[in-house]
Amino acid sequence: MFISKKHISRRTVLKGAGVAVALPFLEAMVPAATAMAQTAAKPKMRAGFFYIPHGAVQFDTKLGPEADAWTPSGSGESFKLNKITQPLEPFKKYVSVIGNLDNPAGAGVHVKNPGTWLNCGSGTTIDQMIAKVIGQDTALPSIEVSSETTVQQAAGNGTSTAITVAFNGNTPLPMEYNPKKVFNAMFGTTTPKERVLNARESDSLLDLILEHTKALQGQLGAGDRATLDDYLESVREIERRTSIIANTDISGMKIPERPVGVLDNFDQQVDLLFDLLTVAYQADITRVSSFIMVAEGTNQTYNHIGVPDSFHPVSHHANEPDKIARVVKIQTWHMDRFAAFLKRMAETRDGDGSILDHSIFMYGSNMGNSDKHSNWPIPTVVVGGGNGRMKLGGQFINPAQRTPLSNVHLTVLNKFGIEQNKFADSTGTFSEL
Amino acid sequence: MKRSLILCSLLAVVSVSQAIPRAATPVAQSAASGSAEEYRAMINTYCAGCHSTQGKAGGLALAGMNFDAVTADAQIWEKVVRKLRGRLMPPPGAKQPEQQDVDKLVGWLETRLDANTTLPKAGHVPIQRLSRTEYIAAVKALVGVDIKTKDILPTDVSVEGFDNIASGLSVSPAFVEQYVEAARQIAKQAVGDPSLDSITYTVAANRGGEAMPLGLRDGAMRFKHNFTADGEYRVNVHFPDGTLGLYTGSLENEATLVFIIDGKVMFKKPIGGVDDLMLNNRKAGDGRAQIADRFRKVTLQVKAGVREVVVGFIDRSRFESISNQGGGGFGGGLPTFDNVEILGPYNPTGVSTLSHTLIYVCDPKVAGEAACSKQIAQTLAQRAFRRPVTDTDMGRLMPFYEAGRKDGGTFDKGIERLVAAVLASPEFLYRSIRGPEGARANAEFALTDYELATRLSFFIWNTGPDDELLKLASSKELSRPAVLDAQVKRMMGDPRASSLVSSFAMKWLGLSGLESIKPDQQIYQGFNDQLKRDLVTEAEMFINSILLEGRPIVELLTSDQTYLNDRVARHYGISGVNGSQFRWITLTDKNRAGLLGKAAVLIRTSYPDRTSPVLRGAWVLDKIIGTPPTPPPPGVETDLNQRPGDTPKTVRARLELHRASATCRQCHGVIDPMGLALENFDAVGQFRTADRQAANSPIDASTVLPSGLPINGPAELRAYLASNPAKFAQAMTEKLMMYAINRPLEYYDMPQVRGVVRNAAKDNYTLTSIVEGIVRSDAFLKQGPPSAGTAAGTRVAANQ
Repeated sequence: MFISKKHISRRTVLKGAGVAVALPFLEAMVPAATAMAQTAAKPKMRAGFFYIPHGAVQFDTKLGPEADAWTPSGSGESFKLNKITQPLEPFKKYVSVIGNLDNPAGAGVHVKNPGTWLNCGSGTTIDQMIAKVIGQDTALPSIEVSSETTVQQAAGNGTSTAITVAFNGNTPLPMEYNPKKVFNAMFGTTTPKERVLNARESDSLLDLILEHTKALQGQLGAGDRATLDDYLESVREIERRTSIIANTDISGMKIPERPVGVLDNFDQQVDLLFDLLTVAYQADITRVSSFIMVAEGTNQTYNHIGVPDSFHPVSHHANEPDKIARVVKIQTWHMDRFAAFLKRMAETRDGDGSILDHSIFMYGSNMGNSDKHSNWPIPTVVVGGGNGRMKLGGQFINPAQRTPLSNVHLTVLNKFGIEQNKFADSTGTFSEL
Repeated sequence: MKRSLILCSLLAVVSVSQAIPRAATPVAQSAASGSAEEYRAMINTYCAGCHSTQGKAGGLALAGMNFDAVTADAQIWEKVVRKLRGRLMPPPGAKQPEQQDVDKLVGWLETRLDANTTLPKAGHVPIQRLSRTEYIAAVKALVGVDIKTKDILPTDVSVEGFDNIASGLSVSPAFVEQYVEAARQIAKQAVGDPSLDSITYTVAANRGGEAMPLGLRDGAMRFKHNFTADGEYRVNVHFPDGTLGLYTGSLENEATLVFIIDGKVMFKKPIGGVDDLMLNNRKAGDGRAQIADRFRKVTLQVKAGVREVVVGFIDRSRFESISNQGGGGFGGGLPTFDNVEILGPYNPTGVSTLSHTLIYVCDPKVAGEAACSKQIAQTLAQRAFRRPVTDTDMGRLMPFYEAGRKDGGTFDKGIERLVAAVLASPEFLYRSIRGPEGARANAEFALTDYELATRLSFFIWNTGPDDELLKLASSKELSRPAVLDAQVKRMMGDPRASSLVSSFAMKWLGLSGLESIKPDQQIYQGFNDQLKRDLVTEAEMFINSILLEGRPIVELLTSDQTYLNDRVARHYGISGVNGSQFRWITLTDKNRAGLLGKAAVLIRTSYPDRTSPVLRGAWVLDKIIGTPPTPPPPGVETDLNQRPGDTPKTVRARLELHRASATCRQCHGVIDPMGLALENFDAVGQFRTADRQAANSPIDASTVLPSGLPINGPAELRAYLASNPAKFAQAMTEKLMMYAINRPLEYYDMPQVRGVVRNAAKDNYTLTSIVEGIVRSDAFLKQGPPSAGTAAGTRVAANQ
């Protein structure tokens, strides 16, 4: 979870602790009278990044283009989704699917795939760059979750570039897969009242940590001092968060029941994490999230949709129609769950529209053909109105030449007001978006 | 793990004489003769064709190397040595030298490389925070609190499988948040919060999973409960509908419910039988409520502390177990319960826990609150910070006590805040090497005694130094070789040394993360998570019995003894083992001996639905021989799966492709043979002579190694691997050294690694002898300048 440079003076804020602060908007759960939507001056933008490993079944299997289950065609009225992308049908005017994307940084290697998806090998990932801009006023600048442990044998047993899609500089941000801990990060471990007291208690501990760390730094060499700078930065971010918590009375909010932990049923686990993200967006606890929907190199099975195979081994489908069909089933199911999340984003009123109107969500993988371990073509979907900054109508964008994935990233960054001309190996932006 | 000492040492003697061929002398000593010219000719004949100045295969040119100054190109030669030791080069298909000539060349090169005096003696280890595992162990040692890893802290990044490597231990806000929260929770538990609490424990869905005390039937549960104070606790047992709800069929059979705390029966009452059945028939709901009441608010007097609680039914006969009388549906079966709720403490009379003993080094009523709080802070901070406590430290910590004393109103509240402050301090969370006064950052220096105590303790125990180590550090005696040796001996004999199995060996061998591997239950019916956990337990207990009981590490490959319970024994086709407790057993099947016969290893190196000679071969090369093969290049199609319509083929037949293609063969010609010899074990580690998935074709486990040596089946592969204990010892030593000094090894560390291995030879390579060697090495005792450890491209030795 990202680090904000904006350091609120905690002491002045804490003096005012307990003063009622306007409640975050939680339409689904809070009585309408307290909703923030009515007073909200200007809708806020949101971003979300949804990762699925092992690519998608596209035109480049040995079965040829007929077996392509991913690539849509046309635009506007003639925009036609394919099998895997079909669940997006209800929101198709918000949907852009982009073909012919390449990401050499991923190198088609599981160990590198998640960690190079959002930065194309360049350090800080775009979710974190965006969180720096739009995530400063929320309790959590960003949320990083996964549906299962991202420590997988086929993906390097816990190597940093395999366990997360989010990096701040070179620091990997852990993806939490225990719904209980995600919930605790959002609502605290205790009652709302105790939470405020705890925040104040933590606050003095944070002071001690800062003081001790600075003293310790004085005795160390340059390299070690820099390591502790990272630590200090994280501590300051927690201070910022703590001060928001200490000043936010959520006792009026109807908080959903605390999850008990990781669920045995994978499908329910995926849905629960989508539920938590939904609440986080609705209640304005965060405006940026990333979600590894299933781990890179996973052995997860999909019996709930009649696929008893583990995802990673079956994704090496050897161009066999039967296996490809099962891979397509898995990929379609994930898209379907993403669509269910979009539905709630579309239904949640947010100022002059819905959250979906104000968001840019990106869904995709960092591998093209899982059987070949290729880093082209990277299946990518961008969804949402982007607060009027995204072109609506629905379209399949198919650049003539292999185009860096980072061009999509640069375009998205620009939409969030991050004006830069280059990102990683980018060669331009997508004017179609 | 408890056997008689006599038996243990007897076994050691027997196995040493059997398992260690006397040819165990390291190559480097036996074959270092010959002239530079001779070896130049050999390199020119076998290597320089591809590794030419123009061709530069793998970015390496060996033609034209200076054979008179081997040390000048130490980095390159270390790479050569590694490839040759594993016989990865020359690639299969190319002209092959005789094995003895390869050994001679390796020996000659190693002798020269080891004589190099210009190498850095130590790399640089940057400041590092405690890993999650270390934090947990350190908290346990410091304040006696057990915390559950996964519930409280984020996962750490691993580097080459280990989570204690300094460069991988980064921090993020999520991490800081959880650590601060943890510090507060731990402090609360440590000081003992006698406020009323209620915790419910639910019987696991997988009944009969965990080993239960003998005499209890399936459907019991075992858990640890933190009784926060001495006092009275109340227990409620909840029964399911099938026992005390709408369907009461199971009440027909009488059962006795018992409550056992730390091995002592605290409560025992019957449920079911004729009387209860009558009660239910006459009074229906009221009658059932009456029965349930017998198991509500059961009062127990318990002393504070984390205690093991077992709740279950007494087993009456084999016939009467749930597995035999499932009942199900509307009736029959035996009574069961769903969950147990523990409330309390009521009327707490005090706190007498391990935590209390560790923290309260004085009595405030005797010493006075002011003096006692200072003494507590002093003791705690010294142990936590692993160095003497300064006035500045005290000045920062005492306000926490004072604030807690004032806000909370009691001495204990003050101490609680103090404990939280100590645990949250970066001096606890981070360990750094600063060297003695006046140490220059750009030169090598020896660790201070305190730094040495810390490194030693985290190496062998996974936690901070104890009082004895701190005392020796304070008197500067620890760095004296004799004292250091004695401490290593003492520490290796301490139960905490088991972290060398759980945190080192299990991770080194890749056996700790087996939960993400899910064998296909349609193919391997009867395989389940409980069995998988048991197989990991078997592996861990087995490894423990070799490494920590002073036996030669080569017995990891050869020992025919292991620990089994009924489930594992059934899985292995061994009869006569009853009950879920693990016990020490001598295997009669030669194929099962050692790590290569452990199902945990065989599952780790398989796919969910088939074996993988490639994964198994790579595992053997990496772990046993110490030469991990290079990962496959991207863009390779992996067409090894069965196709519908084709006649089903064995995995072996499908692997033939690897040999047909010259490109594939370069690597797979080395990898596959090792794995093929293990084809007698299926993907869940069961022995087989035919392949069920390939129309019962007979298994062919014969193969030829790159050196030309024919091998047939697991037993012969094991004998071959065990015939060179020095090679295996070096493979392990490299990893153990990395684990010990918290950084990946560099080419310049290799002479020290080989030195450790040579010294351990006289003890037949026991873990202790290797640990001693590492602790005495410069790499362990010293710190190099920052540039030494991080130069790009120097990780040759460890990786290639």
